[in-house]
Amino acid sequence: MNRLRIAADIGGTFTDIALVHPDGRLATRKVASTPDDFARGVVEGAIELLGVERLRPDDIGTVLHACTVATNAILEGKGARTALVTTEGFRDVLELRRIRVPRLYDPLYVKPPVLAPRHLRFEVRERMGPRGEVIEPLDDASVERVIEQLRDAAVEAIAVCFLHSYANPDHERRVGERLRAAFPQAFLSLSVDVLPEIREYERTSTTVINSLVGPPVRAYLQSLVAQLGARSLLRDVLMMHSSGGIVDVRNVITRPAQIIECGPAAGVIGARHVGAQCGYANVISFDMGGTTAKASLIEDGALVRTDEYEVGGGISLSSRLVKGGGYALKLPVIDISEVGAGGGSVVWVDAGGALKVGPHSAGAVPGPACYGTGGSEPTVTDANVLLGYLNPASLAGGAVPIDADRSHAALRDRVASRIGMDVIRAAYGVHEVVTTVMTRAVKTVTTFRGRDPREFALFAFGGNGGVHAVSLARSLGIGTVVVPPGAGVFSALGLLFADLEMGASTAWPARIGTLDPAALEARYQRLEEGLLRDMPPAAGAVRIVRKAGLRYAGQAFELDVPIDQPADARALQAAVAAFEGEHERMYGHRLPGRAVEIVTLRSAVSAPTGGATRLAWQRDPARAAQRSDRRAWYGDAIGWAATPVVLRDAFDASWRDGPCIVEEYEGTTVVPPGCRVRLDEFGNLVIAVGGAA
Amino acid sequence: MTIDPIRLEVLKNAFDTIADEMALMLMRTAQSPIVRDSMDFSTAICDREGQTLAQGLTTPIHLGSFHDAMRFLITRYGDDIHPGDVFIGNDPYAAAGQHLPDIYVVEPIFDAATAALIGWATTVAHHADVGGIVPGSNALSANEIYQEGLRLPFLKLFERGRINQAIWDIIALNVRVPDQVTGDLNAQRAACLAGARGYRDLFARYGAEAMHRYIEALHDYAERLTRAEIARIPDGTWHFTDHIDGLGESPEPVVFQVALTIDGDRVIADWTGTSPQVRGGINTPLPFTKAGVYAALRSVMQADIPNCHGFTRAIEVRAPLGTVVNSVHPAPTGARGITGYRVIDCMFGALAQVLPDRVTADGTGGSTIPTFGGWHDGAPFVFAETFMGTWGAARGHDGQEGVPHLGANQSNVPIEMIEANYPLRILRYGIVPDTGGAGRHRGGNALTRVYQLLAERCVFSLRSDKRAFPPHGLDGGEPGSGPVNLINPGVGERVLPVLVTEAIELVRNDVFFHITPSGGGYGDPLERDPARVLEDVRAEKVSVARAREKHGVVISTGPLAVDGPATHDLRSRLLAERMTPVR
Repeated sequence: MNRLRIAADIGGTFTDIALVHPDGRLATRKVASTPDDFARGVVEGAIELLGVERLRPDDIGTVLHACTVATNAILEGKGARTALVTTEGFRDVLELRRIRVPRLYDPLYVKPPVLAPRHLRFEVRERMGPRGEVIEPLDDASVERVIEQLRDAAVEAIAVCFLHSYANPDHERRVGERLRAAFPQAFLSLSVDVLPEIREYERTSTTVINSLVGPPVRAYLQSLVAQLGARSLLRDVLMMHSSGGIVDVRNVITRPAQIIECGPAAGVIGARHVGAQCGYANVISFDMGGTTAKASLIEDGALVRTDEYEVGGGISLSSRLVKGGGYALKLPVIDISEVGAGGGSVVWVDAGGALKVGPHSAGAVPGPACYGTGGSEPTVTDANVLLGYLNPASLAGGAVPIDADRSHAALRDRVASRIGMDVIRAAYGVHEVVTTVMTRAVKTVTTFRGRDPREFALFAFGGNGGVHAVSLARSLGIGTVVVPPGAGVFSALGLLFADLEMGASTAWPARIGTLDPAALEARYQRLEEGLLRDMPPAAGAVRIVRKAGLRYAGQAFELDVPIDQPADARALQAAVAAFEGEHERMYGHRLPGRAVEIVTLRSAVSAPTGGATRLAWQRDPARAAQRSDRRAWYGDAIGWAATPVVLRDAFDASWRDGPCIVEEYEGTTVVPPGCRVRLDEFGNLVIAVGGAA
Repeated sequence: MTIDPIRLEVLKNAFDTIADEMALMLMRTAQSPIVRDSMDFSTAICDREGQTLAQGLTTPIHLGSFHDAMRFLITRYGDDIHPGDVFIGNDPYAAAGQHLPDIYVVEPIFDAATAALIGWATTVAHHADVGGIVPGSNALSANEIYQEGLRLPFLKLFERGRINQAIWDIIALNVRVPDQVTGDLNAQRAACLAGARGYRDLFARYGAEAMHRYIEALHDYAERLTRAEIARIPDGTWHFTDHIDGLGESPEPVVFQVALTIDGDRVIADWTGTSPQVRGGINTPLPFTKAGVYAALRSVMQADIPNCHGFTRAIEVRAPLGTVVNSVHPAPTGARGITGYRVIDCMFGALAQVLPDRVTADGTGGSTIPTFGGWHDGAPFVFAETFMGTWGAARGHDGQEGVPHLGANQSNVPIEMIEANYPLRILRYGIVPDTGGAGRHRGGNALTRVYQLLAERCVFSLRSDKRAFPPHGLDGGEPGSGPVNLINPGVGERVLPVLVTEAIELVRNDVFFHITPSGGGYGDPLERDPARVLEDVRAEKVSVARAREKHGVVISTGPLAVDGPATHDLRSRLLAERMTPVR
């Protein structure tokens, strides 16, 4: 029989469980996360959902998973005690970073603590040159000395990174073998296995992160597998990595750094899948929760990835430019920009009389003023309650009672009276300012990369996505907003739709025109052989996609372009043409006649995981009839407007004029006057954005 | 008509986004290591009068220097400014520039509907070379600006959209690495195009009349915030004197003297008493001095003040003509960066007296820019990097190690990138123990980088400082250490002066051994928590001997531990010795 797949996504507050029945029906469950033992929440949530759906553990064939264990290990300082072994004379590379700091004009800035402290960084005498030439042979005596020091240091994990090891890994591998023999229990990472690319700080940092999160991730996954087994759910456990593919859990245990951004990645995968299903290949995914808003781009059905990520960098309006706040992790992640604008973001007025929103958040505790749980500062949620966008009595189907008077008092006393505005206009101002902050997040992934947001549809999810999506779309000139079903558990849903996918890269510096295509083809094949060996069983044909990082001779940054198979002279020519086109698109010019270099080779192998992939929506006539009314404020041009409040089931394929508000257990969607909305066959709310900004 | 505070916040965010987008564009398309890796550049979006509206988050010390250059350009060209024009200029005297390697590329922005001038997209980038007597064009030895390289008044690099090839040809012929320089100029232009596009869109959306009104409101808002901050600082005048060691083998100290007056809601920084301009490239015209004052003051303010021109209105900078901080033609300015850094350091010295919890003790004092230039494998090369840096301690924490000077948020160049692209090898890079000034909080330790030349020969230059006047401590903290600059350390080593004025020839396998100045301490070293001293000893940032000597902390070896009773006794003795008059 064709067994089902079940997905679990652990977040800070909730663990989301989702599965899709063979007929396309979606079933979801939200349970409280269990931080003392996250695996317990996953297993109990899964059992609960199975019970509700009248399924048996036997019906499940695969468990798909995303978690925050790796991220938390870094953010909460719970990583393993990790040593770094590096080239003599260079143990401080990790601590000195790239010198730049994330904040200007701040003499009191304090750097984040280094992940492997100085007394756990050890030097080995050896030296490679940039072309892989041995400048100083590996000195055995110094290796022995380091092994002795490591014994005294009692570390749980070790990272090894030597200068220029991407060009010649011999010394790194030899030291790796010695360390593995001496410390079989320690979690060991070699930089050549984790990130064989030029730039020593980024490579060292990535390798150290891999070692640091290794023991906690390994322990967690072993516990998860054991607990699943204890409940007769011992199945193939597959995990999502930060660039949106699914890999076997055993692969994660050797390269745990790859799952650091897997949760947000799953949401983007969900947006891509739902978008493809309903005919949108160009999508901006927009995920707005309680503390942050995240945006990512899907172009021609393809994800945009970046390897300029920093873990724990805090929330920054322009994370690409202002670096140094977190720990460099130069592995491919889906390019997601994040701003500190969520429902809990605090509203305030600065000394110059300007209205500000965030980045500070009231979080779940003390929460927005209207929760009545101790919060006294006005938040975005309070403004939305006053505007009539959110239910003034309760949220989440009655689970969270709301006291609108508290919202009013907080906004009046702390904002409206200080900027000389009435409360409702101040509340609308909050809505507008949040929109501009989020606009920046979207621009970071669009205009900053030479893409015009008007050519994309906005897919909104997360608890607050639907409340702000239309305003955001208007500010960017976007014509279509889509709010999918299951928007509140969307990352879990995304897990169900991801493909098996594994990638590998290698430095392969060469100038196009003089390199040997046969050698290039051989190098790609070697990369792919390794990947195919580790690939879990697939439900369909395996695809191989190759890319090459190219740049003009002299540039420091490369652009990744596809390269055809086999990698022959014609394929190289096409890659150069693609590179020059991309360069012009991103930067407004090309440099005709300038030599082009290959820097990095990348291969990705992918295959479908199988299982139901189509969502089918079944309208419930009883739910369709439910309706209440309240007034909502849509700015000075419109003022108050009576607005019907309905469930998703109230809609069908025909267009219906705004205003209306769709209130669901998982979130609220606001359709202002001037917009139209309908429901497509997959259960998506599709909003045609019209009317003034 | 009233200003809607919400619309104002919307536009402020939009300007910031444009300036950041420009910076990102410039960084990613640049060719030279000093621009693309060190990030020695700035971008800004300016209003039609050339007043900065927002600046990309790269180099604080460029804040405030755009305006003088823009005013100069606008006065010079008047109504001869057209759509499709792109201007270039670098001369400190004939273009209100900074020093010759810093080339401005700016583009006027015209309203799509009315064709009226509505603003400027502006960039300034430090180019790898602009000719002159040393590679990298940072010559300290120049006596007058004519020796420093190619001087450009504001010229049209493009005229009504058409390339002015003559200017490109002149530049390409006059610089040592024309590919890098023209590549970086293209990157600057790409940034301008992106900035102009975003700014024009805002005008199309909100209308020119409203935009100009809100722009004025943004300047007023920044001014209001600034004045509110200044008003909270106690009134009075604070004096501070700082130095640059001086030029060449027998240096004469260059004196910086500031009288900082807080008067209600305004600030006056008066540099009367500062040394006359010198025959060496460390002079700076006034705009850069103003920028240094602005950056220092901005750093002690706590509000999130927009990086726009309005911020500067409450601040007055006075400097006598003909001094190193307000030089006149033909004073050379090639290495004027160090003067800007010292302006900031001197300001912090004055501010420490009135806001001791908002500044740190003195630190490295800015980048030292080791520069290697010559020929290798038949092609020219110039390698320069903004090498930094470490900070003095603050009232609440130790000095940070591996940080830029506050005036310039720049990066070091990755070792692997240097070795892959230049005939250089790095032999060592790291923290130098026992160098940070002792204190209750310790100054940051110095950093070292050791370079070896692999080419047959090259010309070398360097801009360091603080050997004669090491970084000061605060509140009883000890000063940091000075720099170490050696060619071929060991037997027969050559000790370089801090500011090298003669051409240094290196030949293959020569080694340049470099240690930066460190940071000063904060508070009494004998009050340092012994647990923190132990932590430093364990990290090999402080030796057992120094722990004992400076902090009175006795560390027992074996397993490292603080010997509590011995520490108590030693500290008591050291305190008693302090009380005993020196015979």
